[in-house]
Amino acid sequence: MRMTAGNLTFAFIVLGARLALATAAAPDVQLQMPNFDSLASNASDSVSITLDSGLLGIAAAFLDSSKPEDAAAKDLISGLKSIYVRNYTFDKDFTYPSADVDLLRKQLSAPVWQRLVGVRSGKKQANVDIYMSVNQNNVNGLVIIASEPREFTVVNIVGSIDLQKLRRLEGKFGIPKLQLEEKK
Amino acid sequence: MSRPDIDCVTEAEGCVSDDSLHRAAAGESAAFTALVRKHQRSVYSLALRMLADRHRAEDLAQDVFLQLHRSVASIESDAHLSFWLRKVTINRAIDRLRREPKYEEVSLDESLLLVSAAPAEDPLLQRQLRELVGRLPPAPRAVVLLRYQEDLDPTEIARTLSMSINTVKSHLKRSLAILREQVRDTTAVDSGGANPSKLDPSSPNVDQ
Amino acid sequence: MSNHLDDQLRNALRPVDPGEEFTQHVVQRLAHDKRRSRWSTPAGLQWLSAALAAAVVLGFLTAHAWQVRREQQGLEARKQLLEALRVTGEKLDLAYRVVNDEAHGTAGENSGA
Repeated sequence: MRMTAGNLTFAFIVLGARLALATAAAPDVQLQMPNFDSLASNASDSVSITLDSGLLGIAAAFLDSSKPEDAAAKDLISGLKSIYVRNYTFDKDFTYPSADVDLLRKQLSAPVWQRLVGVRSGKKQANVDIYMSVNQNNVNGLVIIASEPREFTVVNIVGSIDLQKLRRLEGKFGIPKLQLEEKK
Repeated sequence: MSRPDIDCVTEAEGCVSDDSLHRAAAGESAAFTALVRKHQRSVYSLALRMLADRHRAEDLAQDVFLQLHRSVASIESDAHLSFWLRKVTINRAIDRLRREPKYEEVSLDESLLLVSAAPAEDPLLQRQLRELVGRLPPAPRAVVLLRYQEDLDPTEIARTLSMSINTVKSHLKRSLAILREQVRDTTAVDSGGANPSKLDPSSPNVDQ
Repeated sequence: MSNHLDDQLRNALRPVDPGEEFTQHVVQRLAHDKRRSRWSTPAGLQWLSAALAAAVVLGFLTAHAWQVRREQQGLEARKQLLEALRVTGEKLDLAYRVVNDEAHGTAGENSGA
């Protein structure tokens, strides 16, 4: 089946509908993050975020429910255990050394992971892979690997994830709403 | 014989010299009273604007000076004294505010909401600003007071409040944005009614 | 507006004097406290009182410092969380855009354009 934006949305909706608020015993789906030294040393800017359950709890206490951005964040993180982000930006087009990325992909080849999305854009030269871990119909892990000519990002979210809410991040946190054109 | 540097002439006028500090530390009442006179405006005003209550502010300010009396021997200079007084006043005020489940909300005088922000001196605007500052959360409120009442720069504020300088600048920027917005909201009042205060979600709308 | 607001704030927040009565109240409280401490604390134990008071003050300052640190930690954690969610949303958005671009590109090919 050819991947379209409509299919992608449908995939999210189906998986989102399967979401339960259970705390089923499932293996942790936290990736072992490589150091990414080769990326960091060439990056003009980098973001490294590690929020375990303790820090997520502290952050939640400081979210202001009267602000839409904070309220959305609070809603989203209620079932999460941890969030990891590694993001590297480069001044010029950068060919990533494959070793670190291969380490990630090797972990994602384990049976616990399913690749939900794998898109390659010739125009944008962007590759995006989205992996989910589903245990007894519960989504308990998410990984996004996005590589663009001047930016590389890995996101690993562990815990009970509501994909509908994730999808609704558009329009918040400075991300513009995506207007999908209707096919004529 | 050269005189030590002093701000004015006599202790009755509130003059303090480093010599006065030593004499106060040695137990001389007149010297300590002079210290109180010199700094009571600053201490009391900080307490008043943090707590938004005259009686509690007086109480707190008195406590600060009593604490000073116990600690005066450790004060090294007039500059150190100013720093110590600001720090202790703000810390005590913040502690008092944190112990309360919700700090008191100052209700805006409804008539203030109808006044436009005229240029130059505007007593009503100034009163409004004082009330708005009094409704900022404790930490940004302290930053604004140290900046605009005590005329400290961000580095000195950071030192007084044991904050990072970035946090100080962030508090200042956000507080000024809120104050600017609040003043603009109340000057843009139309016949449809005033905007509710963003600082106090429970404050009532004003019907005109 | 920025300088105007600065000036207005300085004017609004000019220190106010609590008056001579305030000074007298402080002096009276000092005298009262001195009498009380003389009466209730035998000379030999005054050092112990001072040490205990110092311990209480130290405890208070430590607790306050801990509170300030915790607030700073909380605000920093919130900032990091919002940044993490921003990046996540941005990359999900990228995936959608890539898919959308590819779909339009394919449609263009199929139409023979």
